[in-house]
Amino acid sequence: MKAVLLIAINFVREQRWPILVLLLWVLLLAFLGLTTEAARQRDDLLFVFKQVAVYFVAFSVFFGCSAIQNERRNRRILSVLSKAVSRQQYLSGLVLGITIACAIYCFALGMTGSWTLGEAGFPALQVWFLMLCLIAACTLAGTVALMFSTLLNPFFAAGATAAVMILPALLSRTQGLYYLAYAMPVSTLATTVLSSSFGSPGEVTWLPIVLAVAETLVFWFLSARIFSYVDIAVSVE
Amino acid sequence: MVGMGHVLEFQNITKEYRSLFGRRFLALDGFTLQVEGGEIFGFLGPNGAGKTTAIHLAMGFMLPTRGGGRLLGEPFGHAATRRRVGFLPENVALYPRRAETLVRFYGAINGMKAAQLDRRARQVMGMVGLQDDAKRNVSRFSRGMLQRVGLAQALVNDPELLILDEPTSALDPVARVGVRELLLQARAAGKTIFLSSHLLSEVELVCDRVAVLDHGRLVRIGKTADLLQAGERSEIVARGVPPGTFAGAIVKDGAVRFSVLGNQQRPTLERIWELGGEVISVVPQRRSLEEIFLEVTGGAESSSWEGAQ
Repeated sequence: MKAVLLIAINFVREQRWPILVLLLWVLLLAFLGLTTEAARQRDDLLFVFKQVAVYFVAFSVFFGCSAIQNERRNRRILSVLSKAVSRQQYLSGLVLGITIACAIYCFALGMTGSWTLGEAGFPALQVWFLMLCLIAACTLAGTVALMFSTLLNPFFAAGATAAVMILPALLSRTQGLYYLAYAMPVSTLATTVLSSSFGSPGEVTWLPIVLAVAETLVFWFLSARIFSYVDIAVSVE
Repeated sequence: MVGMGHVLEFQNITKEYRSLFGRRFLALDGFTLQVEGGEIFGFLGPNGAGKTTAIHLAMGFMLPTRGGGRLLGEPFGHAATRRRVGFLPENVALYPRRAETLVRFYGAINGMKAAQLDRRARQVMGMVGLQDDAKRNVSRFSRGMLQRVGLAQALVNDPELLILDEPTSALDPVARVGVRELLLQARAAGKTIFLSSHLLSEVELVCDRVAVLDHGRLVRIGKTADLLQAGERSEIVARGVPPGTFAGAIVKDGAVRFSVLGNQQRPTLERIWELGGEVISVVPQRRSLEEIFLEVTGGAESSSWEGAQ
């Protein structure tokens, strides 16, 4: 467990610059909260909040797709896996790292959102529920991306992840098969965040979050199985 | 040295790489090798011979196409066994951290306790001569210094088996001597060292046994001393004998010089005395590992071919 935690912290540390750049968006929301009159421009504030929140789903896919590939390309993975670290532990570290990165971002966004939107009358508790939805969506999206990155290069892994996330939602809308939206709840969770408004902040429904957590575990398990059969070292000779 | 059992064992391993378009490359072809406990084992071969592939298979970074092997008695890829192994990759790639922090990180993911790690990290930084640079970020280090941090992370867990892929390739002569002494100390402490290197003179100095790999096949293996002595020749300098009597003889400063195989030395000397000649000197000509390497890998022909271009 210690090795998993150390790999996760190391991952976050390696990704600190993209995370800091993303936190600038949160800073933008805070700036808007300071400079605008919350009561009058509350819809604009909520719009920025929702956009900034959903961006991170895309970035978690980016983190997931590139994590293993970067380590393999720069060969740092060799020094880590030459220790008493199994492939499963290594992948668990990366999944935990993605989750920690999401949690840092969501905490910052949640703090800023509950302050800026709270002043405008949005329930603070609902802000934190939306952040929980976001963490679940980001972790699942990052894990799916990580699974594809064990087989494909980052570009194709991102495409495959997007397809897996979007197709069920599309089918659910076009074919009217509503249960399909829950097959890959990233879109459902993102929709929960995007559809919230001052008039209707949304209900606290736990099913998509529970499904996202369960599917994260399934995709983590699949990633670990696939990764245990992958040659991680490309011969330099 | 002998009698401690096989520490590292490759059993008829074949490794084949396949490209997306079906092209195949055979990196190892029925490769079998045993490394005994407590020895320094030199693993030689030209570029592309399959040395790094063999090492990566042993470390569990890859799966063999056929065959298998054991590392410290466990099948390749057994994570917990790697706690007893120190590994230095060919091209050291490290996270941009302070050197000592980095060594502590690698020790910690290897399951070392914090209190033990503090002392050991400082100790290994001293062993590789980086005690004064321990607080510096490795991103500012030269390649030789990175190599030494790589060596420190391999040593931090006080491993039973050290697998070193080109450990001295980026080091200056002083640092090379330091690494050589480190290896000899490790052997004296009962550790096993599996050393892949192109620096044949160093291998010759420290290794108990060597194996030469070429095109994925083992082409020579033996004790270093035996290999160097096999086919030993002596140079004989004599006076008062006709130069045409001995094959390859040349005349220099009035003396005849030629070389003979070790088992031909005595009859040759008797022949000189029979002819009324005088033996000035008999100097044993020990073969170098480089000569053996070039001979078994066919490198002598290719280097002379390149020279003719």
